[in-house]
Amino acid sequence: MTAKLWWMIRKDLLSEYRSRRTWPAMLLLGILVAVVFTVQMDLPPEGQRRIAGGLLWLAILFAGVLALDRSFALESEDHCGEGLLLYPVSPTAVYLAKLLVNVFALAALEMILIPLFIALSGVPLLAHPWATLLVAGLGNVAICAIGTPLSALAAKIPERGNLSALLVFPLIIPVLLAASEATRLIAEDRLGAEWWRWVQFVAAFALVFLVSGTVLFDFLVED
Amino acid sequence: MTGASIAIQVLRLAKVLGRRAVLKDVDFQIVAGQRVALVGANGAGKTTLLRCLASLARPSAGAVHWFGQPARGNPQARRLLGLVAHDSLLYPHLTLRENLLFAARMCDVDHPRQRVEGLLESTGLRPHGHRLPAAVSRGMRQRLSIARALVHYPRILLLDEPFAGLDTAGAEWLTELLIALGQSGRTVCFTAHDDAIISRLADRVLEVRSGRVYEIPRDSAGIPILYRSTERRAA
Repeated sequence: MTAKLWWMIRKDLLSEYRSRRTWPAMLLLGILVAVVFTVQMDLPPEGQRRIAGGLLWLAILFAGVLALDRSFALESEDHCGEGLLLYPVSPTAVYLAKLLVNVFALAALEMILIPLFIALSGVPLLAHPWATLLVAGLGNVAICAIGTPLSALAAKIPERGNLSALLVFPLIIPVLLAASEATRLIAEDRLGAEWWRWVQFVAAFALVFLVSGTVLFDFLVED
Repeated sequence: MTGASIAIQVLRLAKVLGRRAVLKDVDFQIVAGQRVALVGANGAGKTTLLRCLASLARPSAGAVHWFGQPARGNPQARRLLGLVAHDSLLYPHLTLRENLLFAARMCDVDHPRQRVEGLLESTGLRPHGHRLPAAVSRGMRQRLSIARALVHYPRILLLDEPFAGLDTAGAEWLTELLIALGQSGRTVCFTAHDDAIISRLADRVLEVRSGRVYEIPRDSAGIPILYRSTERRAA
């Protein structure tokens, strides 16, 4: 299964590299939102530290939804996704491959947005790099774990517009709040029990979304 | 007849799309090595039936078995099946060669590169292997779709209007290929509208009409009496 997972991931990354349809738009939107948020954030340093986490995660979510939405739109072209379902590969493997590509896309986005936020606002988001990495990683997995199957569902609907965003946003609110709180506590240099509780909260949602995505994916992609 | 010699078994299959019953209580079986044509008017449900046979559509009731194995919820059984669908199922940003290689790797084909080069050669697409699907003609895309469906040596081949888009030479190539596949024991089930092709290719003809499947009778020479279905529709 590992080899097939790799070939599916490679196929998606190669298609994106050649078409450049998703990542440039995602990165541009993320940068734009981050710049607007940080320029408008005319607050004393304490205030900036308080809200930087929320603004960072909003920027990640707005831009990330573009990548999530496009992840199955590629499979809709010439109904390639149906070809994928004809191969002797479990729906779980297809789900995991798409999930990993999306996690990779959001990680690339965060690698640009976090330094950009630090540069523009001066908020020390990387004062505890491992803590930031943990929150960003778990938040990433949670967003992609639920966003990937919903994108598969939306891709089956003609004239779907921004259906992925409409489906993802309400479900992702708890993760967004918890990740924002955990990031705020990193910026305020308060890595105590409270921070750990928020991290566990994000991890729990990531796990729940992963399990439900794995279980439901087969039903969502079928005719 | 043993389960192993029955390639496709359809048991009380029904499919409802919205409020419309597209397929009703369909029951038939196809013996291994047979070439079966599915005919019927536009919108009769041929494609839906083919999608159910390929396990791409979930039946509202009933089941499909491939060589005795349930078609649904059984990813490993998909090795038995190749499908040429109405759409090409080709990735637009992968070259012809990469599309075939991807299919070969997903199907665990031994020596995938050799297999792909062999298929490109036999379909006459080798000089175009580096091109994207959008950069070649519809007929070439159709040839590649057929090659993609055959990449893993499936025992059952389902084809939805495979002659669409092929020129005379392409149609002749496909006819000979399907005859050869049938002779080598592969089961072929295809939809088509051309009576000449059906008469030449099909061992059996099944007509999809009003959501049900009827066997078309044959004359004394064993040729399916296709005009009867037209007469029946006209009546």
